[in-house]
Amino acid sequence: MAKGNLIHRLFALGPIFLLYYLSISEVDTNLEKIFEIFSFNLQIIIIYFWIIKRPNLMSPGHIFVAGLINDVVMGFPLGISSLSYLLVCFVGNYVRNKSVNTTIASDWFTFFIALMFSNLLFFSLINNFTEFNISYSKIGYNTFFTLFMFPIFWLLFNLYQMSFIGNQDA
Amino acid sequence: MSVSRDDFSIAFRSALLQRGGTQKFSIFSLIILAIVIFFLDVYGFNASKIARGIINDVVYRVTYLASAPTRTFPDLQNGISSHFNLRKENEELKQVIEKYKALDLNLEYLTNENRSLKKVLNAENILNVSNIVLAKVIVDRNSPFLKSIILNKGSKHGISKGMPVNQNKYLIGRIVETNYLSSRVLLLNDLNSRIPVSLDIDNTQAILTGSGTSVPKLEYLPENYELDNGVTVFASGKDGIFSAGTPIGETMQDGNVKLFVDPNQLSFATVVLIKQNEEKF
Repeated sequence: MAKGNLIHRLFALGPIFLLYYLSISEVDTNLEKIFEIFSFNLQIIIIYFWIIKRPNLMSPGHIFVAGLINDVVMGFPLGISSLSYLLVCFVGNYVRNKSVNTTIASDWFTFFIALMFSNLLFFSLINNFTEFNISYSKIGYNTFFTLFMFPIFWLLFNLYQMSFIGNQDA
Repeated sequence: MSVSRDDFSIAFRSALLQRGGTQKFSIFSLIILAIVIFFLDVYGFNASKIARGIINDVVYRVTYLASAPTRTFPDLQNGISSHFNLRKENEELKQVIEKYKALDLNLEYLTNENRSLKKVLNAENILNVSNIVLAKVIVDRNSPFLKSIILNKGSKHGISKGMPVNQNKYLIGRIVETNYLSSRVLLLNDLNSRIPVSLDIDNTQAILTGSGTSVPKLEYLPENYELDNGVTVFASGKDGIFSAGTPIGETMQDGNVKLFVDPNQLSFATVVLIKQNEEKF
């Protein structure tokens, strides 16, 4: 019983572990080598999905720290990714508070809003407070592919949730 | 109408301020903290710079360790699906050969590393040059927005901002951030990279501008200039940072430059410890 409980807890830590690992390791979702314009932001997808589905597994404190780590590794000013992730977290929380039952389509639509807010804040801060030049076309492609990839990861994470954590929604 | 407005404000406040069983901080307090950290970092107060340097050094080392599996087994990501199938069919056999396979991969990795180091040592003739620091690339995270790498040498080894970075005598970028034990190199293909270059027998001057792709482009060429294919591009040294004559790449017909060193395949680099001249380009 205790062993089963431990395994269940380990599986429950999976999303937060993945978020940290993506932030700190060299593993990335910039697949420009495969297709010139193909890159997406998996961290935002992870945060949004788990905030909507199981907020107890994805606390804002972890999201904040993962954002800081991501900034250090990527070379962005500290706090900018945290802000962007927390905004996604906020929209997710709001949507969860306002909705009773969600479907993949409704999650996809609300994810679009969260993604827009998050990217708008991120690139506005980069543009106005730093000296980085960032290609607007790359931002567009990244946003598009992040949105495009959301249903695929929604299904994968949903499968993970039902298989290893339990299918009880928040 | 007023009920729906109440619903909105309740949901809004709850999303910002609520704390669950495992949540020690509300989103609102973390957003405020993130904003404070952001502005402290952007406006570069001394204490925040020191703190950032320490955090960078620690995180880069952890990143290097966390990325060890992907470095040691570069084909793991590509072959993961086939490995699953093979495991089912050859589980017993795999157990027997697993340790030999690991040894082989380890040997191959060490051989490649040794070969790269020898190449760098031969090319840079490091024994005779005292103003060069050989550094290992510890983080090479491929970002769609910023093209940079992290080296395992920092201000402790004399590296400072602006110093040129080479590999096999070819220019690959310059130092843009230094910590005590690590430094960040902005690669030539980054959108923020601008380097004065010269090319062809007339010593034509231009600016090599990163485009975010693997091939930077030549800008500010003379009017009506006809670009030939395969002309070697050198650093002109007019910025007072890069040594004049350091080879960079070859021109392509479309005005882009094919770099001599693939920016995605860097494992070692040499930092030239030169001080920036007062006169700037």
